[in-house]
Amino acid sequence: MVVSVQAARGALAEIVGSAHVVSEPAALEGLAVDGATPRWAARPGSVEEMSRLLALASSERWSVVPRGSGSCLDLGAPPARVDLLLDCRRLDAIVEHTPADMVASVGAGLSLAALGAALGRHRQRFPVDPVGGASRSVGGVLATGASGPLRFRYGQARDLLLGVRFVQADGSITWGGSKVVKSVTGYDVPKLLAGSLGTLGVIAEATLRLHPMPPASGSWLLSFRTPGAAAAFVGAMLDSTLQPERLVVANAGALRAAARPAAPAAVAVSVGSIAEAVRSQGSELVRMGREHGAMVSDVPEDVWLELGAALAGPVRLKLSGEPARLCHWLAEVERLAGEASVPVSALGDAGSGVLWLSLGRAAADGGWLAGAVGTLREALSGEGGNLVVERAPRSLKDHLDVWGPIQADSLAIMKRIKREFDPTGILNSGRFVGGA
Amino acid sequence: MHTFYKGAPDVVVLPTSAAETAAVVRLCRQARVPVVPRGSGTGLIGGAMAPRGGVMVAMTRMNRILEVDLPNRCATVEPGLINLWLSDATRAHGYFFAPDPSSQMVSSIGGNASTNAGGPHCLKYGITVNHVLGLQMATGAGELVWVGGKAHDRPGYDLPGVMVGAEGTFGVVTAVMVRLFHVPEGVKTLLASFSSIEDASETVSAIIADGIIPAALEMLDEAMVRAIEEGIHAGYPKGASAVLLIELDGPRAEIEAQARRIEEICRAHLALELRVSQNDAERALLWKGRKEAAGVIGRLTPNWLLQDAVVPRSRLPEIMREMLAISARHRLVFANVFHAGDGNLHPIICYDDRVPGELERAKQANEALMHACLAMGGSVTGEHGVGLDKAEKLPYQFAAADLNFMARLRRVFDPDTLMNPGKLLPDHPACAEGFRPAAALPGGSWV
Repeated sequence: MVVSVQAARGALAEIVGSAHVVSEPAALEGLAVDGATPRWAARPGSVEEMSRLLALASSERWSVVPRGSGSCLDLGAPPARVDLLLDCRRLDAIVEHTPADMVASVGAGLSLAALGAALGRHRQRFPVDPVGGASRSVGGVLATGASGPLRFRYGQARDLLLGVRFVQADGSITWGGSKVVKSVTGYDVPKLLAGSLGTLGVIAEATLRLHPMPPASGSWLLSFRTPGAAAAFVGAMLDSTLQPERLVVANAGALRAAARPAAPAAVAVSVGSIAEAVRSQGSELVRMGREHGAMVSDVPEDVWLELGAALAGPVRLKLSGEPARLCHWLAEVERLAGEASVPVSALGDAGSGVLWLSLGRAAADGGWLAGAVGTLREALSGEGGNLVVERAPRSLKDHLDVWGPIQADSLAIMKRIKREFDPTGILNSGRFVGGA
Repeated sequence: MHTFYKGAPDVVVLPTSAAETAAVVRLCRQARVPVVPRGSGTGLIGGAMAPRGGVMVAMTRMNRILEVDLPNRCATVEPGLINLWLSDATRAHGYFFAPDPSSQMVSSIGGNASTNAGGPHCLKYGITVNHVLGLQMATGAGELVWVGGKAHDRPGYDLPGVMVGAEGTFGVVTAVMVRLFHVPEGVKTLLASFSSIEDASETVSAIIADGIIPAALEMLDEAMVRAIEEGIHAGYPKGASAVLLIELDGPRAEIEAQARRIEEICRAHLALELRVSQNDAERALLWKGRKEAAGVIGRLTPNWLLQDAVVPRSRLPEIMREMLAISARHRLVFANVFHAGDGNLHPIICYDDRVPGELERAKQANEALMHACLAMGGSVTGEHGVGLDKAEKLPYQFAAADLNFMARLRRVFDPDTLMNPGKLLPDHPACAEGFRPAAALPGGSWV
């Protein structure tokens, strides 16, 4: 089918209904993806509608960008062109939740907040707390491979994704994985889809492994006089038998942004368990903290939201090296930023060594960023590390490789995978690694 | 064993390095000869057999620990390394390798990664894929690639995530980088016996519903307990219809309180007897029967089939009732020892192949049980894998589009479908796999 520009709106309306097609220029401006305004936006109300939309896009060679809550539309390289914005927010149903199985199947457009509210009634949760907060959609969190402090205990979203219903570039509705907590039937397709930024298919529904809500929890903030003392404490925690839910290193900038008492470095810890265990683990970590020279304070659960908000700056980087070198990389970043008087807020997950950096306005205005990114990438390459520019103004992104270099043999396989499943390159074209 | 397929490879190659392995794969690719990777050969699904001949690449000589990196809590090993050896090598430093298939004393980590093996403790710790940070593979496309590594969150597709569990159909695993976990502060094991399998099944659901995720939650039924007691005298309660083995690990305060709560739940579900380990020796004794269960099956039956399907945990009581009905209908004894906490069944279907028709009945019972599991929203295999045994069962769980996606994914890594052909994917039109007959090995081949 070849659709004229004029007829496109009609073809889209035929699939999703006129009320769910956006074609007015002003409205489309507001839906721009990293500076690229879509020609149309459509909101499918079912996986079948999503399938028909993609089949149409495929036959027309329209470039398609899927979106969830819209919080990460600036992730990746800016798209050269967006024909159809595929808005998944109407797919927000809890399709199935069997509390006894601790498994839920949900629409990709469901927000983490809505999911959390529904699960909370059964004292359960989907323990994923990404940067960007609870307004993010489940599908978006999965597609962008987002994660937050709870990964220390529960892993990333990909580790909790049991099954996935998605629509391939040609419109084929496909299912991968299972709806039970343990299955090795066939290839682990959910792992391939998680973090693939919609370049292999658009996630319509996800089956998630849930965890019980711990009956009690506590959070502590430990402030240190030197970053080195914080690093030593983190090492001691990791070598102990304590089992926190979160273990996050924060720098002075993050503490300032979170309106917490000033310190050169701090470690935020939370424990979730039965009340006695929270108390006993809490007192042990307080004892260990004091032994390492920390000022320790009990803090409300809100501290995690406050710290997360410290990453809201105009430029956000995600750096990953060897986990044991997390504090080394934090010091390196602070040194580089300090030389140029660029304010930096940093939060690092002690388990994975992933370090999120939010750089203030000075980075966005100057040409400093490209140099700093290059310097850090070169240093990280020695240990197989990487740095992703997760957010930056479009004017800067045009001069940056947002994903950084990818190991040649991995990249070759990734390109073959992309070519296999999206041969005409209509899905999120140009935004992902290697121009995929 | 329950794999009825026979077939021997034309050649067995035992490489000593990744480069040699890759050279063998490349040679076979040129000659269009099938390649069958093999670890310790402990798999239960015919995944390391060569029904179509070809070259078997056995990794048993590549069994070294290449690096233990405690600061980064990981280790890199050759694929032939025995699973338990890694924990043995790191426990003195306070660390262990969490995936613990029951065969961990003999199975290899490369094999574990290839089949994405589970084990009793994966209820809490996750299956092998959750523990693999990176791996090296000689792919069917002729490459030797390293994917993943110590740095987490690599940009791009999750290649280690999708290469784990490919059962040798993408290539031969030549090295694996795995996470190490810190040993927990305390471990506590409880044994509870019940007069009915329903009571035991309800107890499993009640424990999880209470918000407790034990490290392991295993069930043994009457037939299995009897065989264990006759065979190895593990001290399991006689006369019980079901026994639950429940292990908690973690901070002491947590497991003490959870153990008390589990005792209450077991009593509320009419447990006949409750024992709680007080020390490592008592704990080892409680586990003895479970760990050696496979060894006593011979006391039950001359031949047996082993099922590995999964049901949603909440359907356990129902599937256990269904199993009794299937067993009665087919006039066969089923013995059970399985991972109840995650709904992963392991009924051992007993038969005697000297009795005409009994093997056929066993196969039919096996099939009926798998269909019952799938009808409840379950899965064909929970931890053993698909292999040769279950390849033809995939269409029960997946539609044509799903199978087609998998078949295309396979060809990205193995364009000529020479790697472990006939395994994992069915000969189904959606897969359009069509095995291409291989030529003979070329004259002068150095293998």
